[in-house]
Amino acid sequence: MAEDTFLTDDFLRQLINVGEVDILVGLPTHNNAKTVGSIVKAIQSGILRWFPRERAVIINADGGSRDGTPELVTSISIDDVRRGPNPYALRTLHSISTKYAASPAVPAAFRTILAAAELLQAKACVVMSPESSSTEDEWISKLLRPIRNDGFDLVTPTYRRHKFEGVLITNLLYPMTRALYGLRLREPYAQEFGFSGRLGGEFLSQNVWDDGAAGSGIELRFTLAAITAQHRICQSFLGQKDHIEQRGSDLVPALRQTVGPLFSALAPDFPFWSTAVGSQPLLSIGPDHELLLDLVRVNRKRLREMFTTGVAELATVFQSILSPDTLAELQRVALLGENDFAYPAELWVKTVYEFAASYHKSVISRDHIIQALAPLFRGRALAFLMEQRNGSEQDVENCIESLCLEFERLKPYLLQMWKSRE
Amino acid sequence: MPLTQDVLWYKDAIIYQVHVRTFYDSSGDGIGDFQGLEQKLAYLQDLGINAIWLMPFFPSPLRDDGYDIADYNAVHSSYGTLEDFRKLLDSAHSRGIRVIIEMVLNHTSDQHPWFQESRSSQDNPRRDWYVWSDTDHRYKGTRIIFLDTEKSNWAWDPISKSYYWHRFFSHQPDLNYDNPAVREQMWNVMKFWLEMGVDAFRLDAVPYLVEREGTNCENLPETHAILKDFRKRLDEQFPGRMLLAEANQWPADLRPYFGDGDEFHMAFHFPLMPRMFMGLKLEDRKPITEILQQTPEIPPTCQWSLFLRNHDELTLEMVTDIERDYMYDSYAENKTMRLNLGIRRRLAPLLDNDRRRIELMNGMLMSLPGTPIVYYGDEIGMGDNINLGDRNGVRTPMQWSGGWNGGFSTAEPDRLYAPLIQNPVYGYPAVNVVSQVGSGHSLLHWMQSIIAVRSSTAVFGRGSIDFLHPANHRILAYVRRLGNESVLVVNNLSGTAQAVELDLRRYKGNIPIEMFGKNIFPRVGELPYLLTLGPYQFFWFRLRRI
Repeated sequence: MAEDTFLTDDFLRQLINVGEVDILVGLPTHNNAKTVGSIVKAIQSGILRWFPRERAVIINADGGSRDGTPELVTSISIDDVRRGPNPYALRTLHSISTKYAASPAVPAAFRTILAAAELLQAKACVVMSPESSSTEDEWISKLLRPIRNDGFDLVTPTYRRHKFEGVLITNLLYPMTRALYGLRLREPYAQEFGFSGRLGGEFLSQNVWDDGAAGSGIELRFTLAAITAQHRICQSFLGQKDHIEQRGSDLVPALRQTVGPLFSALAPDFPFWSTAVGSQPLLSIGPDHELLLDLVRVNRKRLREMFTTGVAELATVFQSILSPDTLAELQRVALLGENDFAYPAELWVKTVYEFAASYHKSVISRDHIIQALAPLFRGRALAFLMEQRNGSEQDVENCIESLCLEFERLKPYLLQMWKSRE
Repeated sequence: MPLTQDVLWYKDAIIYQVHVRTFYDSSGDGIGDFQGLEQKLAYLQDLGINAIWLMPFFPSPLRDDGYDIADYNAVHSSYGTLEDFRKLLDSAHSRGIRVIIEMVLNHTSDQHPWFQESRSSQDNPRRDWYVWSDTDHRYKGTRIIFLDTEKSNWAWDPISKSYYWHRFFSHQPDLNYDNPAVREQMWNVMKFWLEMGVDAFRLDAVPYLVEREGTNCENLPETHAILKDFRKRLDEQFPGRMLLAEANQWPADLRPYFGDGDEFHMAFHFPLMPRMFMGLKLEDRKPITEILQQTPEIPPTCQWSLFLRNHDELTLEMVTDIERDYMYDSYAENKTMRLNLGIRRRLAPLLDNDRRRIELMNGMLMSLPGTPIVYYGDEIGMGDNINLGDRNGVRTPMQWSGGWNGGFSTAEPDRLYAPLIQNPVYGYPAVNVVSQVGSGHSLLHWMQSIIAVRSSTAVFGRGSIDFLHPANHRILAYVRRLGNESVLVVNNLSGTAQAVELDLRRYKGNIPIEMFGKNIFPRVGELPYLLTLGPYQFFWFRLRRI
């Protein structure tokens, strides 16, 4: 299939039948039969409850599931979800599904959803994660209302999370995007988010779809595109987000999906972020975020071993990426005893910035750079967990805030390296 | 043109609803009359209708547009004499037009001599002809219909110092159908008109005849028994005459009014009408197909009566709260357009005077299962006057020409029973019969055309309906079938052009012939049949196997 016809004829036929819509809900899936049923019901219920008059469609972009996911999506009837005193659905609610030809990956799914949104002239769109068991019908309202009613172009979520969940977000993605792009956006890499048809159309026409590094973290690129184009953005509190257990070996793919696109975006976005000063708060609907403080078991020994082994084994790689001072400091940290272990904020920020600059310069393979960050991130995560093991919600928040300020304070350091390495 | 002898004539009928007062004033007193209507029968014959339904013309204080009858065996002097009515009846019959008249069974005017006698003393022989009570606490489970006006279904009578029951306005006391003398008297009233030659009764407010404690006093078995008795007498003494029920109820509650073909011949399908407007605004067939799927089968000799607009408000009683809110916001943003649980507007203003939507709605009216009723003036796109009180804004004089009083009357304008519509869009200089007769593409000519096409086949009046379910929800498509005849109807409810693929494999080999232009379309094959329709366009195809 030619690249300029990535929508199948069958999908196009289904879109013709749907026609113009007010609301489009995108559901990218790949073997999500266990969870997708309840999510579709939540979506339908949300549309019934909050947008009964709007023309709406659910677009399922499936990456070739073999567990019946698409069939589940299209088979759930609106009659299954009627609720409340006014259960009547005024309109036909279409659920349509298409398989995209590319390998199961989010970019193709998201591109399909954006294309559908453009063809259907959707005014407001939302992408929902197919693998959350905590999805509530209210999420539809919380992500779409600011777009439908208040003219926002992007609504990112905030959640109630455990304080040690999303460490990659709290220790890297949030503080770095905040420092560079000047906006305090808590979840730059969101799996549930709302956006206007206008923003979707703009992004669809951008030349990002063939960028391999960006492709795997297209949601982050989407967020950054909204920021750089100075669209109206807000955050909406969704509530508790269930925790998906991740194995240690999932870290590298996670870094590829998040840090890769972030680093990748820095070059094209340089005119924007290089001139942004400080950071601005973002309108938050509901609480900014909430933390849960339950005790969790952390295998500190394992994390520390992975950090120290990585520092030792990847020394030659780090020599290409890091400055001698930063590398020496990391090697000193690697020698610290388990109880004394610390990975100070300044050192972590310099580490990340030097990785970003090296990524830009492609001092070695960009994917190797991302992989090399994994043991260092584990070290930083260990330090964060140890420091905040008994921390209150406020303590944790203070810690993240001070890290953000450190990212902001050292932004000139990144600029200096960026320019010196050009 | 003689009347057909078919006892199922009402299945093929196209009914024109008109109030004598509104149509044409032959005497110059500012009020339409029987002679005026008779003079305009040629116009109705040209339009193609074959039945007229006359709203109440009986002596009445006219506090409810004649539904408050003060004498059942006479005509209101403003409209002429009983002899004038007889002449109208004969003229209509000679043109092949049947006459349906109103019969308000449930209540009379408080000015009716029966009520005057009844209230005069507790010992009066007619005391028991109405429903009296010492307390206003009986029948508590009964809803109040005119919520905007009435606070209770009981009214205090200061003369007899007791309460009387009324389901409608307090000046309309309900008759007591538990009294055999009342039942006998009302049959005698019906017989009076049947013997004169009227072809059918539209029986008003039939669900409310009988009251019983602990019920909602609607649709009671005792009420059905009374109606069945009337029907039995009708069939025995006046075969070929027809009863049409006015019962604003859900389809399942309406079904018993057909009985086993031994109660009403016809009943209005009230819930369908608002859903046609809703489907059009939503651009979605769902409201229409849902209500029709909920509509039960009726005996083969029975028929639904369909309408777009009538003399009342566009009633929203038979919709859900969420639908009612939507309808108000969509069609009556101005709150003065709302009355009771409805919208007091005419067809053309409801549809923003959009000719395409007016045609589409009439197309559905004429092609869905049932007998269509056209409200006077809607065939030329008359407007309304929401500044007139109650429902009078949709009961203004018929606009015959752009001349004096719109050609309705030679009286001084301030003597007209109601002012003519005068605004620039819908006023009589812009919208009138004479100008539309002279314009080949007028709405009037189009209405004549669609009525002629509808009348060219019995399939619309008598055929079955099979809904098609194309994936495009903006398309409402169905096949009407009667014997070997099949007609495919495809309606685009959307204001934008649409493509639709229809599964017509069952009709493989048939050639669709478009019924207005008689052009042939590609033969139906095994593959989905692709059609494209312009905004609000509809097609009627006769499917011919040649």
